[in-house]
Amino acid sequence: MMLMLDLILRLVLWLLLAPLLPGVINRVKAWVAGRRGPPVLQLYYDLARLWQKGVVMSTLASPGFVAGPAVAWVALTGAALLMPLGPAGAAFSFRGDVLMLIYLLALARFCTAWAAMETGSAFEGMGAAREVSYAVLAEAAIITAVLSLSVQTGSVSLVSMLAPSAGAGAVLLAAGLFTVLLAENCRVPFDDPNTHLELTMIHEVMVLDHSGPPLAVILHGASMKLLLFAVLLVQAVLPMGDMSPLAATGALAGGVLAVMIGVGLIESLLARLAFRRVPLLLTTAFLLCLFALLVAWKGNRV
Amino acid sequence: MSGPLLLLAFVALVTAILVGVRSSRWWLALTVTGAVAGLIASLTVLLGATDWEWRSELTLGGELIHLRLDGVSALFLALLSVVGGTGGVYAREYWSEQHYPASAPRGRAWWSALVLCMGLVLVSSNGLHFLIGWELFTVCAYFLITLDRRRREVRAAGWLYLAASHAGTVCLFAFFSTLAARTGSWELGPMREQAGLAPLFWLALTGFGVKAGVFPLHVWLPSAHASAPSHVSAILSGVAIKMGLYGIVRFSGWLPVPAAAGWVVIGLGATSALLGIAFALAQNDFKRLLAYCSVENVGVILIGVGAALLAEANGDAPWGRLALAGALLHVWNHGAFKALLFFSAGAVLHATGTREMSKLGGLWRTMPWTAGLFALGAVAVSGLPPLNGFVSEWLVYLGLFDAVTGRGPAAWAAMPAAIMLAMTGALAMASFAKAGAMIFLGAPRTKPAAHAHECGPGMRGPMLVLAGLCVLIGLSPVLFWPAVARAVASWRPAWAAAEAPAPLAMLGSVHVVLAVLMVAAAVWLWRKAHANSVRRGLTWDCGYARPTVRMQYTSASFAGIATGWFRWLLQPERTLRRPRGLFPTEAIRLERVPETVLEKLLGPVSVAVMQVSAAARRLQHGRLQSYVVYVVAGLMALGVLVLLGGAP
Repeated sequence: MMLMLDLILRLVLWLLLAPLLPGVINRVKAWVAGRRGPPVLQLYYDLARLWQKGVVMSTLASPGFVAGPAVAWVALTGAALLMPLGPAGAAFSFRGDVLMLIYLLALARFCTAWAAMETGSAFEGMGAAREVSYAVLAEAAIITAVLSLSVQTGSVSLVSMLAPSAGAGAVLLAAGLFTVLLAENCRVPFDDPNTHLELTMIHEVMVLDHSGPPLAVILHGASMKLLLFAVLLVQAVLPMGDMSPLAATGALAGGVLAVMIGVGLIESLLARLAFRRVPLLLTTAFLLCLFALLVAWKGNRV
Repeated sequence: MSGPLLLLAFVALVTAILVGVRSSRWWLALTVTGAVAGLIASLTVLLGATDWEWRSELTLGGELIHLRLDGVSALFLALLSVVGGTGGVYAREYWSEQHYPASAPRGRAWWSALVLCMGLVLVSSNGLHFLIGWELFTVCAYFLITLDRRRREVRAAGWLYLAASHAGTVCLFAFFSTLAARTGSWELGPMREQAGLAPLFWLALTGFGVKAGVFPLHVWLPSAHASAPSHVSAILSGVAIKMGLYGIVRFSGWLPVPAAAGWVVIGLGATSALLGIAFALAQNDFKRLLAYCSVENVGVILIGVGAALLAEANGDAPWGRLALAGALLHVWNHGAFKALLFFSAGAVLHATGTREMSKLGGLWRTMPWTAGLFALGAVAVSGLPPLNGFVSEWLVYLGLFDAVTGRGPAAWAAMPAAIMLAMTGALAMASFAKAGAMIFLGAPRTKPAAHAHECGPGMRGPMLVLAGLCVLIGLSPVLFWPAVARAVASWRPAWAAAEAPAPLAMLGSVHVVLAVLMVAAAVWLWRKAHANSVRRGLTWDCGYARPTVRMQYTSASFAGIATGWFRWLLQPERTLRRPRGLFPTEAIRLERVPETVLEKLLGPVSVAVMQVSAAARRLQHGRLQSYVVYVVAGLMALGVLVLLGGAP
C-alpha cells in the first residue's frame, strides 16, 4: 500500500512539476530582455488547450504517428521513475538501472524520430536526422559521465551512484552534463525553441505536423526530459547523501531552479550555433566527461 | 533423450535433402521435424544437467566418430533449429516453384543440407570431422547464395564468399592439424592445462573471424547477404556467421589462450561494432544495411567474449560471467531479430522488386504486417527496451561496468568498450530509424512501391514466430537465463551458478510493465484523438501546398550528418552534375559507399599481386632456345658462386 502511495506521489510530482520548467526559463529570458513575458504556467494552459483540440493528420501518416508520441511519453515517464529524488530514493532501483534510463531516453528518441518521418515532409526528415545523429555524441558523453560516477562510487545503480558528489571532477562533470542537457533538450546554442524558421531547428521541426493531444503529449514529455536531466545534473554534482533529508530536498529544488536560470541566461546571452559547429561542442562535452572520468579514476587511487 | 532426437533430426534432414527436389510439402514437413527435434534435443541439454556424448566404433576418414552436445554447442544448435525451421517455412512461399521453377527444388535440398551440416559441425568432437562439416556447410551456403545464378552480381558475391571462406578455412586447417600434431590425436575436448597450445588461439581467431565477419575480415559479408535470397541471408546472418563465433567461444573455452587474447578480442569487438554500424548507416540498399549491422552485432558479442577472457585472466572475476552471458544471449537475440528483419526485407523485395531504399516509401499502407514486424525488429536490433536486444546488451554493459568499478587493468579495456558500445547503440538506432522510415513511411517514391502487396501467411507466420521470440526474451529474460547460464558453465565450469542475477528478474518485470503501459498509452491516445476529431490533410511542409514525393528526405540525406564523421573510413564516391545556365534542366548528385576494405585495400593489393604474377609469367613462354639460355645462365651463375665462394 505504501509502495503504491509512494509511486502515485512520485508520478504526480513528475507529471505536474515538469511543465513548470519551460515557464521558468521563459521568465528568466523575459526578465533579461526587459519584457513582461508569458506567465510561468503558460505550458499548463497550452497543454490543457491542446488536449481539447482536434487533430490534423497527414494523409500519409500511419497509426505510428500517434503511437510514437505515446510510447515516447511512457518511456520518459519510466525513466523519470528510475531517477532517484534526493532523500526519497527512486521508485524502482536495481543494479544497472542507469543503463535502462539511458536506453529509455533512446527509445523515446526513436519513437519521436519515427513519428516525425511518418509525414514524408523534408523538414521533419531534417529534424529527425539531426536528432538521431547528435544523439551519438550525446550518448557517448552521458555514458562517460555515468562511468565516472560509477568509478567514483563503485556502484552501478543510480541511487547509490548519485548519493555522494562527483568528487574532484564535479566541475568538469557539471560542465559536460550541462552541455548535454542543452543539446538533449534542444535549447540554445544547439537549437532554438522559439524560432519559426524550420530549417534551423531540431526538436520543433520534428513535431511540425503534430497537433492536438499528440502534440500535448510530446510537449509534456519534452518538459519531463528537461526535468530529468536537471535532476540528474544536480544530484551528480551536489552531495545529497551527506545532507539531512530536508536540506537535500531544498538543495535539489534549488539546484533545479538554478539550472533553469542558467539555461535561461544562456538562451538570452548566446546565439544559436551553426549546425556544423554542433558536433564540436558536443565533442567538448564528451571530453569534459572523459576528463571527469580520469579525475575520478585518479582521485580514488590515493 | 537427446540421442534419439538428434538421430531423428539427422534422418529427417537427410530424407529432406533427398525428397526436397521432388516434393515441397514432404520437404517442409521433414525439415520442420528435423528442426523441432534438434530444438528439443538442445533444450534437453540446456535445461538438464548432463551433456550428451556418443562415441561410436564407426570410423570416418580413419577417425572414430565422437559426438558431443554440451552447453555451448546446444545453445548454438537451438538457434540453428529455430532459424532453420522458420526459414524453411518462409522459403516455401518466398522462393516458390511458381516464381523460380528451376532453382526452387535445388534450393530446398541445399537448405536442408546446410542445416544438417551446420548441425554436424556443432556436435562433432573430432578435429577432422569438424573440418569436414565446416567445409560442407561452407559449400552448401555457397550454392544457396548463388541460387539465382543468372545474375552477375550474385555470381560475384558467391565467388567472393567462397574465396574468403577458404582463406579462413586455410587457417582452420593449420589450426586443427597443428593441434592434432601437438596433442597426438584429432580428438577435441577440454585441454586447458596444456599451456603450450596457447598460440594456436591466433590461428583459430583468424579462421573463425573470417566466418564471423569480424572487421576487417568481413569483406565477403555485405555482398553475399545482399545478393542471396532473403531466407538464405537470414540463415547466413542469423546462424552461419554465428558458427564463426561458436568456433571462437568453443576453442577459447577448451584450449588455453594467450595473455593478450582478451585485449585483442575486446578490441576487435569494439572496432567491429562501431565501424560496422557506421557502414550500415551509410547504405542505401536495405539488405546491405542489415548485413553491415551483422558485423556490428558480432562486435557486440565479441566485446562480451573478450571481457570474459579478460575476467578469466584476472583471477576469474565475477563480471566475466555477466559479460559472457550477455554475449551468448545476444547470439540468440541477434539470430531472432536479424532473421526477422531479413524476412521482412524479403517480403519488401518480393513485393517491390528493389532493394534500394530511395525507390521505396509508404509501404505501411499496403504491407501493414511487414511494416509493424519490421518496426518491432528495428526496436529490438537497436537494443532498446523492452525487447530482447536491450537485455543482452544490458548484461554486456553490466559486465563492463563491473570491470571498471573493479579497477583492475581490465578497466582500461572496459571503459573504451563501454563508450564505443554506447555510440554503437545510438548509431544503430539512427540506421534503423532511417531504414524503417525510408521503406515504410512517407509517400511511395516509385510506382512499384505504390503497388506493393502484403506477403502471404507462409511468410508472415515465421516472422510472427521470431517476433514473438524477441518479445518473450525481452519480457521474461529469467526464463532464458538457465540455458545461458548452462552454456557459460560449460565454457568455464568455475562460473557455474544456478541462480539468475537478481536484477534480471527486476528488469523483466519492468519490461512487462513498460510494454503494457506503452500499448495502453498508444491505444488511449489514438482514442482520445479520434474522440476530439481527426481531420486528414496534406503534409504541412511549411505552407507549401504541393509537396511531391521527391521532396521527401532521402536515405543519404538522413544519414549524411553521422556518415560525414566517418568519411575517412567510408570514402564515399560521388557523381555530381551541378545545375547550369539560367534555366537548368537537370542536376545529378549520386553517392555510393564502397566496401572500403575490399575495394580500397584488398582490391589494389590483389591487382598488384596479379601484375607481379603476370610479369613473372612472361618468363614462361615455351620457347626452347630461351630455356636453354636460362639453364646455361643458371649454371654459370652457380659456377661463379662456387669459384668466388671458395671455402665450403
